[in-house]
Amino acid sequence: MMRPSSISLRRPARQILFSSASTIRAAAPVPTAATHRSLSTSTSTGSGCTCANGSRRPQVKQTQKLQQQQQQRQHRNAYHSYDHPSSSAAFTPVEESILSAAYQHVPSHGFTPSALAAGARDAGYLDISPTILPEGAFALIRYHLVKQREELAARVSELFGGEGHVGARPGLSEWEIRGRVEAVTWERLSANAQVIGRWQEALAIMAQPSYVPLSLKELALLSDEILFLAGDSSVDPSWYTKRASLSTIYAAAELFMTNDHSPEFMDTRAFLNRRLREVNEVGGVFRNLREWVGFTATAGVNVLRSKGVKI
Amino acid sequence: MVARPALRRAIPSSRTLLHAESRILRSSFSTTLQLQQKPNNNNNNNNSVPEYAIPDPARPTHFGFETVTEAEKRERVAGVFTSVAESYDRMNDLMSFGWHRVWKDHFVASLNPGFSPLTSSSDPRAPQHILDIAGGTGDIAFRMLHTAHILNGNPDVRVTISDINPAMLSVGKQRSASLPASQQAALSFLEANAEDLTQTKPLGANQVGYSPTTGVPDESVDLYTVAFGIRNFSNIPAALREAYRVLKPGGVFACLEFSKADKHPLFNTIYKQWSFSAIPLIGQLVAGDRDSYQYLVESIERFPSQEDFRDMIVDAGFVVGGQGYEDLTGGVAAIHKGMKPRRK
Repeated sequence: MMRPSSISLRRPARQILFSSASTIRAAAPVPTAATHRSLSTSTSTGSGCTCANGSRRPQVKQTQKLQQQQQQRQHRNAYHSYDHPSSSAAFTPVEESILSAAYQHVPSHGFTPSALAAGARDAGYLDISPTILPEGAFALIRYHLVKQREELAARVSELFGGEGHVGARPGLSEWEIRGRVEAVTWERLSANAQVIGRWQEALAIMAQPSYVPLSLKELALLSDEILFLAGDSSVDPSWYTKRASLSTIYAAAELFMTNDHSPEFMDTRAFLNRRLREVNEVGGVFRNLREWVGFTATAGVNVLRSKGVKI
Repeated sequence: MVARPALRRAIPSSRTLLHAESRILRSSFSTTLQLQQKPNNNNNNNNSVPEYAIPDPARPTHFGFETVTEAEKRERVAGVFTSVAESYDRMNDLMSFGWHRVWKDHFVASLNPGFSPLTSSSDPRAPQHILDIAGGTGDIAFRMLHTAHILNGNPDVRVTISDINPAMLSVGKQRSASLPASQQAALSFLEANAEDLTQTKPLGANQVGYSPTTGVPDESVDLYTVAFGIRNFSNIPAALREAYRVLKPGGVFACLEFSKADKHPLFNTIYKQWSFSAIPLIGQLVAGDRDSYQYLVESIERFPSQEDFRDMIVDAGFVVGGQGYEDLTGGVAAIHKGMKPRRK
């Protein structure tokens, strides 16, 4: 749960902001049904919205059961809930059993039908069984992406010293958040190390037109997860720019890593740091430029006025 | 789950109780939950086969837009295919502009028969038995053999072509004469009703080398395919359960069938126009048989939607991956796949 911060806002606005931030990850701008639900719950219960949010939910659930289940299925990842972690339903139990067994064969067979068939044998199925996976070898790649993203939270909370809840915390300065973004991104990149020899072919499969939308979606979910775990709670337009720039940097760093032979991928980490710094620098340059233009324009107008021009 | 009510409408269900139970138990991924419970209910115990899945010659079913009994449908379908057997392949080309070949190629490629991982620990080329139901003219079977024997280099793949109609089978038998001898040797023909594969008859039962009627044993098949055939069955749930019986655990049921293109209204309108006005006409001109082709388009119209058919497959005890089907050409045809789960 979030602690109320010291920023003074008018009371209703504060309730909405806190309740939505505690239920919805950084107020994801998609107006899902979940958003409306949490807003109405917190406003009706008045103060103490953070606890009421959790206890009220089952009641709401009963009234809107069917509708809600369908919506939750559609928008499973559109918000982050501390009380109701989204169920890991990316794979059915049978898919999971084949894919987890096949994943063990990735270092030797790559993300290929061979790995799938070998995994199916290990799981007690037949060579033909993996053909029920609609995406074929891409399913194995998706399995890697989803599993590593889901495991990231646990690894990060270990990394930051077992703070219990990772994620949005009001105390963090922007500078601290930057450091955490770097650490979390690096943590996720390190998870590619065991399959790095096969990752180029995986990237090639992900770049096939039919898999591009799914791959991009997974990338968006990952950058969202990283920023959330790093504690970013921005609710302004930078919500988008941060995710977009982090996605780009992550994809570039991942590609860089496939050709990195330095011990413990030190070069990749340096590359990642440079890219993240550049984003901040570019952002800074734009801010400075805007300031300079504004200053020069005002000064120019004032000079003209001093010369008697009626502006 | 959305499609469940439609399924219940389509099949008079005596298992409403089971549905209700699973609804209570279900998480957000209800199908899987149900799948796990199913096998115990359906297969080890024949008493719990739902009543609609037991063939009954007197039960009403549909033949195109008409309502007939199951026995009558069987006879009339036999009549249709006996009369079109000779011109079947030519007609397929004309009706679909040759596109059915693309569908069939994709269907076989997606199943990749004969493929084995090259591991050092086990036999690298595992034998497979493919049962091609309603495979009369051999379109699917020949492609399977080509993929398995030539592309995947696995000569231990056998294909059994089964059809209820001897006329269609003999067309397939003739066509198979042009195959390489090794592939001919891996091919066998079977005259059988897909709803009851315990009663089979080899094609030309008098021929040397054929065993007498034995039926397809339990858990003997790796891959069960049915392409453009299942909509002609009198009792589809019964056929699905029979498929479940003959498949090995881990075996795959794969079905290529016409389906619904409702997702693309404009395209669907053109497609419906074509199938209801042009196809019977082509049938009349080329095959000299309007009624049979009228039946073909009507039977396509009456076949359940992708979701409903997927639910029927799940209902028979199979597990599906993802949404359980793949649309081809905007849904004009669809591939459904299901796997028989492992014994617990």
